[in-house]
Amino acid sequence: MIRNASTPSWLLEGESAAFPYSCSGKRRRGGAVEKTLDGLAKVARQALMSEEVAARNGLLQRLDARAKLLGVLGLLIAVGLVRHIPVLLGFYALTLVLAAASRIGLPWFVRRVWLFIPLFSGLIVAPAMFSFVTPGEIVLPLGHWFGHEVGLTRQGLTSAGLIVCRVATSISLVVLLTLTTSWPRLLSALRALLLPRLLVLVLGMAYRYLFVLLDAVSEMVTARKARTVAGRKDGRRARAVAGFSGGALFGKAHSLSEEIHQAMLARGYRGEARTLERLGFRVADAAWLAACVLLAVLTVGGDRALGI
Amino acid sequence: MSTEPLLSVEGVSYAYLERYRALEDVSFEVARGERLALLGANGCGKSTLLKILAGLIFPECGSYAAFGEQVSEEKLEDEQFSRGFRSRVGFVFQNADAQVFSPTAREEIAFGPLQLGLDRDEIEARIEDVLAMLEIEDLAERAPYQLSAGQKKRVAIASVLVMNPELLLFDEPTAGLDPRARHWLLELMVELGRAGKTIVFASHDLAELEWIADRCLVLSEDHRRLGDGAPAEILANRDLLLQANLVHGHTHRHGGLVHSHGHERGHH
Repeated sequence: MIRNASTPSWLLEGESAAFPYSCSGKRRRGGAVEKTLDGLAKVARQALMSEEVAARNGLLQRLDARAKLLGVLGLLIAVGLVRHIPVLLGFYALTLVLAAASRIGLPWFVRRVWLFIPLFSGLIVAPAMFSFVTPGEIVLPLGHWFGHEVGLTRQGLTSAGLIVCRVATSISLVVLLTLTTSWPRLLSALRALLLPRLLVLVLGMAYRYLFVLLDAVSEMVTARKARTVAGRKDGRRARAVAGFSGGALFGKAHSLSEEIHQAMLARGYRGEARTLERLGFRVADAAWLAACVLLAVLTVGGDRALGI
Repeated sequence: MSTEPLLSVEGVSYAYLERYRALEDVSFEVARGERLALLGANGCGKSTLLKILAGLIFPECGSYAAFGEQVSEEKLEDEQFSRGFRSRVGFVFQNADAQVFSPTAREEIAFGPLQLGLDRDEIEARIEDVLAMLEIEDLAERAPYQLSAGQKKRVAIASVLVMNPELLLFDEPTAGLDPRARHWLLELMVELGRAGKTIVFASHDLAELEWIADRCLVLSEDHRRLGDGAPAEILANRDLLLQANLVHGHTHRHGGLVHSHGHERGHH
């Protein structure tokens, strides 16, 4: 047997204070903080894994990222200008057709879009439906307040519906763009069209290292879980642990960023990022762009023709 | 072949945050085409020394010259000198995650040559050659998080080799690799050495030393130069290895016989 002089004798013997190794019937689930951390890691990873969709051979996947970005931008402007719910619904239906043509599962696509709606617009538009914010014809009376009838008004519901439809259609367009374009290509498109190179480089790295830090987070949570023995819940302690984990993660991120900078310097980086552009603009891309512009102009024109 | 050393380190000392000593008065030279192993226990200053050789950190005292020119922070601010130095020195980091920072493997490999301002067509051609050489053509469009540790290491090495540097620095090259990836990397280092590249690598692995190094420099735990010589000579000097904490004395029993020996070079 190998015996190091400094090994304490209790480590070489069996554990005398061994805990009973059977069920007692008392259960305890992980704390909220642990769950949140773990959940964050999982959700973010799943979200980022949607790159798999970008590799499918669908309609939008075949287009040049720049053409797609510009086309979607044009359509977004049109959606922002439309003032009729039926026109917006038509537009929304078009995003569903595009999703289907791009081999994106419709139930998944719809769920992904509508998940954001209550978060982004639901809370904001909810008050607008009431008569005390948007006065008008009350269609659903809710009672009286200081002698006035309070309820949901037709005008309020219309404007709320308009905002929700607009947000849903806009998010659908953006989700279509991000789902059918891999992150590197989207970055190349942004670089080629709009954003400064340095900003795009930072964006690219943020995305890249998100995975490294996600791994670090789930490792920390797992390591803690492995050493957690069932006991009473202690929210304060759990929050303290989350604080330590956050601090440790910050430290890791900092030393990693220093090393990355050195790795960049070692390969000749001098503050000006130069990147490889590998985009190809073809006839199909021009056709897509033309179709987007035409659709945007026709929709906005038609919407205006319908009046206010 | 010129007799002037490729690298010359004179009385170099370094401390992190001006408090934590990492190197103490270290001097040595490296000849062109030589394969030098930096040996030492964890924390002895191997990585720090490699970073000084790569011009990423600068000694607080002593001097460092490479390719016949002194290397200093001030000189590396000069655009022409910096390009000349960076194109001649390639550094493969221990942590491939830090080195592979681009969205795809192809962009990663292109990063160095692009910064140095090489011609685009030339870069594209070199990328294809390096991808084929390291057998990673199918990884070119993959994102780093889709790569295993061994694959990431290959991409990191490709991103350095594509610049065709004269001097290659490897920090713990085989750390964290599985046996197959490890063997592949050691073979590559031998091949690069045969091609005339000068190689300096940090290691605490003594098993394959004679195969991949012409010379070893041993650093002590108090960050000084402890020994310098051919691998066979260093490996035969058990006292030196014990002092550097690269082997440890070990007593055990064979049947009724109790004996004591070091743990170096495949002994049990």
